[in-house]
Amino acid sequence: MTTVLPNQVPAGTDDADQTCGGPLLLLIASGLLWLVLGGTLALLNLIQVYTPAFLADCAWLTYGRLQAMQETALLYGWAGNAGLAVALWVLARLGGAPLRGPNYIVAGGLFWNLGVTLALVGIAVGDASGHGMFQLPRYVQPFLLFAFGAIAVPGVLAWTGRRNPTTYAAQWYAVAALFLFPWFFSVASVMLTFAPVRGTLQAVVATWYAQNVFSLWLAPVAIAAVYYLLPKITGRVIPSYDFAVYGFWSLLFFGCWMGGRLLVGAPVPAWVSTMAIANAWVVLFHHIIVFFNVRDVFRPGANTTLKFLALGMGAYLLSAVIDTAFSARALAVTTQFTHFQQAQTHLAMGAVALILTGALYHMTPRLAGGNWPSVALIRAHFMAYIIGFVLLVGSLAVAGWIQGSALNDPSVAFTQIAARTKVWLQLATAAQALLVVAHVLFAAHFFKLVGGQMAKCCATRGILTSEATVS
Amino acid sequence: MKNGPLFFLGLFAALGISWAGLLIGTNAQLGGLAPHFDENQDLAFPAQFPGVAEQGLRVYRDLGCASCHTQQVRRPGFGTDQERGWGERQSVARDYIYQSQPQLGAMRIGPDLANYGSRAAEAGIGAPALLAYLYNGHEGMPAYRMLFEQRKLVGESSAKALVGGAPEGYELVPTPRAQALVAYLLSLKQSYELPEAMPYEPAEAAKGGSQ
Repeated sequence: MTTVLPNQVPAGTDDADQTCGGPLLLLIASGLLWLVLGGTLALLNLIQVYTPAFLADCAWLTYGRLQAMQETALLYGWAGNAGLAVALWVLARLGGAPLRGPNYIVAGGLFWNLGVTLALVGIAVGDASGHGMFQLPRYVQPFLLFAFGAIAVPGVLAWTGRRNPTTYAAQWYAVAALFLFPWFFSVASVMLTFAPVRGTLQAVVATWYAQNVFSLWLAPVAIAAVYYLLPKITGRVIPSYDFAVYGFWSLLFFGCWMGGRLLVGAPVPAWVSTMAIANAWVVLFHHIIVFFNVRDVFRPGANTTLKFLALGMGAYLLSAVIDTAFSARALAVTTQFTHFQQAQTHLAMGAVALILTGALYHMTPRLAGGNWPSVALIRAHFMAYIIGFVLLVGSLAVAGWIQGSALNDPSVAFTQIAARTKVWLQLATAAQALLVVAHVLFAAHFFKLVGGQMAKCCATRGILTSEATVS
Repeated sequence: MKNGPLFFLGLFAALGISWAGLLIGTNAQLGGLAPHFDENQDLAFPAQFPGVAEQGLRVYRDLGCASCHTQQVRRPGFGTDQERGWGERQSVARDYIYQSQPQLGAMRIGPDLANYGSRAAEAGIGAPALLAYLYNGHEGMPAYRMLFEQRKLVGESSAKALVGGAPEGYELVPTPRAQALVAYLLSLKQSYELPEAMPYEPAEAAKGGSQ
């Protein structure tokens, strides 16, 4: 099942891992805690869709607030922390030198997590900004910006101070993610919160931001991980590597125009959505190149990391095709404003999450200096995750299609729509429950590994100290 | 790629071009929208937003109402928003110029509310009925009891108190937040005519599928 065996020093640990172990493990640990919390909140939120009375008396957990909370926890808590850890690790490895300024990661990481905590509490008491993917209360926004800046410093230093002047595709994607996030985050913060643009233009800014979160931040981190780990694990060079640079720039230059596909028919200039649809087609060029570069990932063999990367890459490519196809107005007329769009978001974000999970399976033993304690836990996590993920996306897509078709038939009342979609939403709830189980298994396994190593480390240190006292 | 500065310049250009094109571009196009003066009625549209409605918008936002309700009517021929009675015409940017944060929404678990005020007026639903609806909830909508306060009855009952629902000796009073939310919902009207929303060809729109 897996190539690594318990209680064996992982192969290929290097200098970079020694210097950044602690700080990166801190990011990963907090990311996993947010994953468990966010997944649980998402589960409660899904139950509320077809059982509106569920938790309705609790002001903190009313449907709209809970939705903003789970989105924030998963996006900024889980994907943010884990994505930063993966990007920094890739840059440290490829920089060929020990990571400089690891304390920036610790300080930034603490503030980032404090910021996300504050954001969730703020949303619970009613301070959400009201923009999808950017629900952060206004007082949290500057906080997160500076925290991110601090965490990104060692990554950019690893790039500028790299030993080898030639750079790799993995580095481009990772640096782009670290460098661009503060820019578009601060633009969104100014144009939505501190000096908001007028009227419906806010929707244009919000969708631009949400698209950038995916195209310029999370997706690049995930792709960096695949470009780095695939040749590292298989020992094979990346085919058609010369084209990778075109794939990179086509994502960066055209990806950030795609947000407006959600604004089809909205009270904003029509060219916003037209540009978005056209750019979605152009960005498929990026996906084709990435596919040809990393197609070896689809022969993962028994390696756990590669299996997660394969599924993540599959989801990433499928998500691009579906997003492009369903941005066309003929299909959007049915899927707009439905669970189908939620399924699309789950597919895209799930692709990132799968790849990050795969990367963590590879990184954690090397950072912690010990192997995953249990093969059974890895298997259970993998199975629960995959089944849960496929089922969640599939059932939400079906529910959304039924909902959209019914919405377009004016004779169908909302109560009837709810009745028709209920069984699919219940299936989605079961899938989300399975995902929570998967997250708990993964987090528990991680803390078992890291905790075990820390105990071992402390024990050795204790022996050394007592010897010193004796002599 | 060996040239560091050029690389960062490229990253910056990628983001900067989309920022300038999309955000500055739309802002230049629509940032200065003024209300439309209707000479026949001698009135300007959309109407100014009353202060209490603006407070209600914040309640709407903080409860996340937009996670189930949109406030954007799509054009005739694109979906069935007109047939469902959500609005005679499509919503346009000018409809929202007085709202500090338009709640366009992205999900329709419940009906569109862009014209809720007009619909409620036609159906004879006033503030008391809407408050009762919020308190009771509905098959598909949760109750929002946190917007109400159960008070011990001292002297005469409040004029705003809900009828029934409270035990003997108590009264159920909507909080200022509930009243603001209701004022906001009842002020949602796009029932006037705007030149840019007028000339539509449903048949052609349905056929061509373009705006």
